[in-house]
Amino acid sequence: MSDLDEFKATYFDECSELLIDLEEQFTAIQDGDKSSDRMNAIFRAIHSIKGGAGAFGFTSLVGFAHEFETLLDFVRNDKIDFTNEVIKLCIRSNDLVADFVEAARNGEELDPEYGVTEKAKFVALCKASSGDSGDESGEPMEEFDIEFTPVLVEMEEPTEEVTEGWLVEFIPFRELYTSANDPLLLLRELVELGEVEVKAILKDIPLLTDFEPFSVYCTWEITIKDKDIEEESIREIFEFVDGDCELKITKFEMPVDEQAFNEDAKSEDLEEDEDMPSFADLAAEIAPKPEPEKLKPKVADNAANNADSDAKPAPKAPPVGMQSIRVDLDKVDRVVNMVGELVITQSMLTQQMDDNLRHRYQELVRGLEVLATTTRGLQDSVMAIRAQPVKSVFSRMPRLVRELASKTGKKIKLEMVGENTEIDKTVIEQLSDPLTHMIRNSADHGIESVEKRVESGKEETGTIRLSAEQAGGSILIIIEDDGAGINRERVLQLAREKGVVGEEQQLSDDQIDNLIFAPGFSTVEEVSDLSGRGVGMDVVLSNINKIGGSVIVKSVPGRGTRMTLRLPLTLAVLDVMLVRVADCPYVIPLSSIVETMQCARVEFGRLPTGARVLKVRGEYVQSMDLASHFEMTTDVDEKDRFVVLCEAEGTNKLALIVDAIIGQQQVVIKSLEENFERIEGIAGGTILGDGSVGLIVDVQGLKNSISNQRTAAA
Amino acid sequence: MRILTVDDSKTMLAMLQHTLSDAGFDVLQAEDGQQGLDVLAQEEVDIVITDINMPVMDGIEFIKNVRSSGKFQSLPILILTTESSREKRDQGRAAGGTGWIVKPFDPEKLISVINRVVH
Repeated sequence: MSDLDEFKATYFDECSELLIDLEEQFTAIQDGDKSSDRMNAIFRAIHSIKGGAGAFGFTSLVGFAHEFETLLDFVRNDKIDFTNEVIKLCIRSNDLVADFVEAARNGEELDPEYGVTEKAKFVALCKASSGDSGDESGEPMEEFDIEFTPVLVEMEEPTEEVTEGWLVEFIPFRELYTSANDPLLLLRELVELGEVEVKAILKDIPLLTDFEPFSVYCTWEITIKDKDIEEESIREIFEFVDGDCELKITKFEMPVDEQAFNEDAKSEDLEEDEDMPSFADLAAEIAPKPEPEKLKPKVADNAANNADSDAKPAPKAPPVGMQSIRVDLDKVDRVVNMVGELVITQSMLTQQMDDNLRHRYQELVRGLEVLATTTRGLQDSVMAIRAQPVKSVFSRMPRLVRELASKTGKKIKLEMVGENTEIDKTVIEQLSDPLTHMIRNSADHGIESVEKRVESGKEETGTIRLSAEQAGGSILIIIEDDGAGINRERVLQLAREKGVVGEEQQLSDDQIDNLIFAPGFSTVEEVSDLSGRGVGMDVVLSNINKIGGSVIVKSVPGRGTRMTLRLPLTLAVLDVMLVRVADCPYVIPLSSIVETMQCARVEFGRLPTGARVLKVRGEYVQSMDLASHFEMTTDVDEKDRFVVLCEAEGTNKLALIVDAIIGQQQVVIKSLEENFERIEGIAGGTILGDGSVGLIVDVQGLKNSISNQRTAAA
Repeated sequence: MRILTVDDSKTMLAMLQHTLSDAGFDVLQAEDGQQGLDVLAQEEVDIVITDINMPVMDGIEFIKNVRSSGKFQSLPILILTTESSREKRDQGRAAGGTGWIVKPFDPEKLISVINRVVH
């Protein structure tokens, strides 16, 4: 990765953070908090995005952000009223900035017309407020040029036969020193321009008794013996002290012989100059020394002020910004992988210890125990590195709810709990879409209109509650609303119409509720603008399943609906049950297992189609013999085998028949597709403690293959 | 030579760090003026480069604070700015800024500007 790419990565990370922050700021502003702190924070964020964009040459982003920034500057300086119209424009523009950033990140160029309307509005607003278009708004790139104000210089007419050059008269004022500029450094830079003669004018230096430490007595005359030097480059050197000194730059002519004379004088003069103490140093020495404590009370005061102000209560980072470091995700993943291998090696070693060895090498046993504990600890710590607060996803939701409320004309408020709960970064990235969709669903289908709510004796404002918490090895994300609940009759009727459920099939309330996740199912006949974008809740479910999670919905008619998302803390390590099928080890994700039973103790039946079903608590569940499914033969007696009852999507169950249950353990998932090829019904592989490969059973995939067979047969 | 960089943009801090470390500077970082003051209270620094627009304490305030201490009267402070308006720059200078760097900076230009204000 080149340096530039690295900076870009840092920049885009920063942009993401800033955009999240902006989202929060605008949310607060919409809620009526228009404090200047917020406005300044917004201005700074856009400013930072623009600054970085300029460095990387993302011109369209710079162009847009610049105009936006100008508008924000007007707003924060109260030159433009922050009306609802302007707020809306700002929020829209914020989205556009995000689009520009995204395009830049992907190396794409947006349509040149993109954002033009908004830009025009910015300019119009700023124009209306200031009476002119303002030179800033016109040329976005302008500020990246260093400008020089042309200065009229008195020039003598050059005559032939003389060497030309520049005479610089430099008379510093006191201000030059108080801003820590140093004439010596400026002279040093002049010397680098070419042949230079420096003469210090010391005639004004008084006797020591009359010497005032803060007065300036020394001035300089510099002769530059090169007419080809641009006046600009001389002026540039004095750029920082412009106004803090008197500077006269004159073109001159000089007889050739005098030039030769001055050549000799030059070096001496310069040396003499170097020996002179810098006035800045002198001033510093003479100035009273501050007591070291002097700064401290002030620091404390400021910290207290910070705490009082209602600006965002960002935790105060230590001075040198060491509270966090940015690490490339690839690097972390490498560590995660290696720790995974370590866990495997460790459990392999432990398994190799038979009783005989255990007795003979007790020290070794103890060592292995310590190794086991340390390895677990290491694994947990590494996983924690990848964890991030769900806040980054949650923070997008208030805005969504507000939009939904205004579009549907409903009154909805959003409560959020547990935003600091941490989940694996990859899970978080995959969470945004499903969550958005579920919230949309709650707002669109769950919460009733104001009239209906009043009719049924509820508060006018409906509440959607979004919470996150850790429960054991999983994270629960719960979306609750106090709306009408799921209309089971309608759901069931529709499901029957669409053939999702057979006519004669009887379903429990829970099963009906979970039908909303069935593929191709949508309860609203006319596709609404909000939820129904051709994507049903089934997509939500499959997205969640993809990251190893599950969704359960519970609904109480008239009281509301609760959707519970259960997500794994991490994707890299999976809790599994180890089983044996035809002498081969297989692993089944623990999250999909409902229960296990001995075959001898359960009852099987056969459907007219010949399919074998398991009867469990009055319910028939499709069963599958893993051995025959994977075309293997087993010599284990049917009665000695086991049933593993698994849950696929929603409440779809599948009974897997295996030879033996070996135990539970954690495994590191390895992709099979990457190393071999995709196999239906197998989600991946893992290396077990004894070094053998265990295949991870894909319950959903198996269930699908049965459905496919059935469709094919029909 | 130790240099303190003060900017709320991590990108800018990273780019400064890169350019300056390559040029042999020892680089300290702070994310706002207040943090900058904290660093100055504890560390010996030869030159400061500071952004203007920052949360908590902006660059102007920061420079004023630094200059209010006699100890730092000869500490060169460069203002890092994208502001085209002379207004901000002049405010920074009036507060005691030694010079300025226009973002985005050219690495060579940055070093030459630094050489203009430190020995």
